[in-house]
Amino acid sequence: MDERDYASPEQRLYAAWLDAGTKLGFVALVITFFIHVFELVPPGIALEHLPLYWHLPVEEFLRMTGAPKGWAWIARLGEGDLLNFVGVAILGLVTVVCYLRVLPRFLRAPDRVFAAICIAEVLVLLAAALHLVGTGH
Amino acid sequence: MRPTRWLSLLLPLALGLAPAAAWAADAPAVPWWVWPLGLFAVTFLLGIVAVLGGVGGGVLFVPIVGGFFPFHLDFVRGAGLLLALSGALSAGPALLRSGLASLRLAMPLALVGSITSIFGAIAGLALPVPVVQTALGFLILAIAVLMWRSTKTDRPEVPVPDRLGAALGMRGCFRDAATREDVDWRVHRTPLGLALFAGIGFMAGMFGLGAGWANVPVLNLVMGVPLRVSVSTSGLVLSVIDTSAAWVYVNRGALLPLLVVPSILGVMLGARIGGRLVQTVRAATIRKVVISLMLVAGARALAKGLGIWS
Repeated sequence: MDERDYASPEQRLYAAWLDAGTKLGFVALVITFFIHVFELVPPGIALEHLPLYWHLPVEEFLRMTGAPKGWAWIARLGEGDLLNFVGVAILGLVTVVCYLRVLPRFLRAPDRVFAAICIAEVLVLLAAALHLVGTGH
Repeated sequence: MRPTRWLSLLLPLALGLAPAAAWAADAPAVPWWVWPLGLFAVTFLLGIVAVLGGVGGGVLFVPIVGGFFPFHLDFVRGAGLLLALSGALSAGPALLRSGLASLRLAMPLALVGSITSIFGAIAGLALPVPVVQTALGFLILAIAVLMWRSTKTDRPEVPVPDRLGAALGMRGCFRDAATREDVDWRVHRTPLGLALFAGIGFMAGMFGLGAGWANVPVLNLVMGVPLRVSVSTSGLVLSVIDTSAAWVYVNRGALLPLLVVPSILGVMLGARIGGRLVQTVRAATIRKVVISLMLVAGARALAKGLGIWS
């Protein structure tokens, strides 16, 4: 029996976008990491200095190094170490994209319950990603 | 030699090198690049074991790297979530296409877990490190005992599906490659399953552990999902749960690329191999490897948290 018989159409669609998004994030991670470790773009924190700080709690680390919080890294993409955030952001957003991609299928079905679950999940993930929750300490 | 034999030999060897390297961390002679290389080697093996054991990468990574490498636990937990997420994302497409992972089963559980994981991450970043480290040690040891004692069943009996599970369409069919049979499955005790996933999400976010260690027993033993579907769907659920918690850590600045990227690359490559082996290797052998690693890592986390061996 063909493997397609075991997976629903929305599941295959989700898998296709998950596959593409994960590969994109993976490629971005590899490229930016090599840019970072070979210092092709000057880093905000020199690699040889990192061992002086990486044992510190995050708040102290940020204070000592001036590393960014939230999405402030976007404004500092000229720093080699912060380029790595691009790949991480893609991996962190790929699930949101997959949910948004299958949402129209649930709306057309119509499968209101799963459409609502889809929308709720996107809102939860975006709230976390956009730093709307967990901002305090 | 069978792949699982290779793993059982190589992983303890790789971990055996880590404490020696960690001991040398204070010596300024150790160049920075030793750490990403060591992380890559350890996480590559963890990635294979994690997918096969259905535990996610984070549950092994956080106590091992937190215990034997020099990075602060804040960064290790953030990295743990990101690499568990990466492993799950990497294995997800193949498992979804094969029908072993079920989107309809995963979505409601993932929604509950992703909400509570945000609160877990906030709590984890607010608590003192020794408290988190000690709790992590106890939790890892408890998970190891749970895995050792639990009697998972390949195909649990679900005489009558519950109303909520039936209404949500939590059922499916998969091809068991070992027996070459089509296996129909459905669920029961869905409300209890949802409640348990709320707790799993909180702990995943708090300790940066991923969530596979708890997903599989809840899906299999509580909700009556066949073991292969439980293991595969667990990855899909934790890809969502860990995404929300990981964003809390990333936005707080607990992201150290030199720790995260080699670990992610290692675990993603390992997970790709694990995803291919999932239908062929013996679950019992993998379970023994995972339990042994967790006992060592849990004891180390506990000793570090209590200040016995820092």
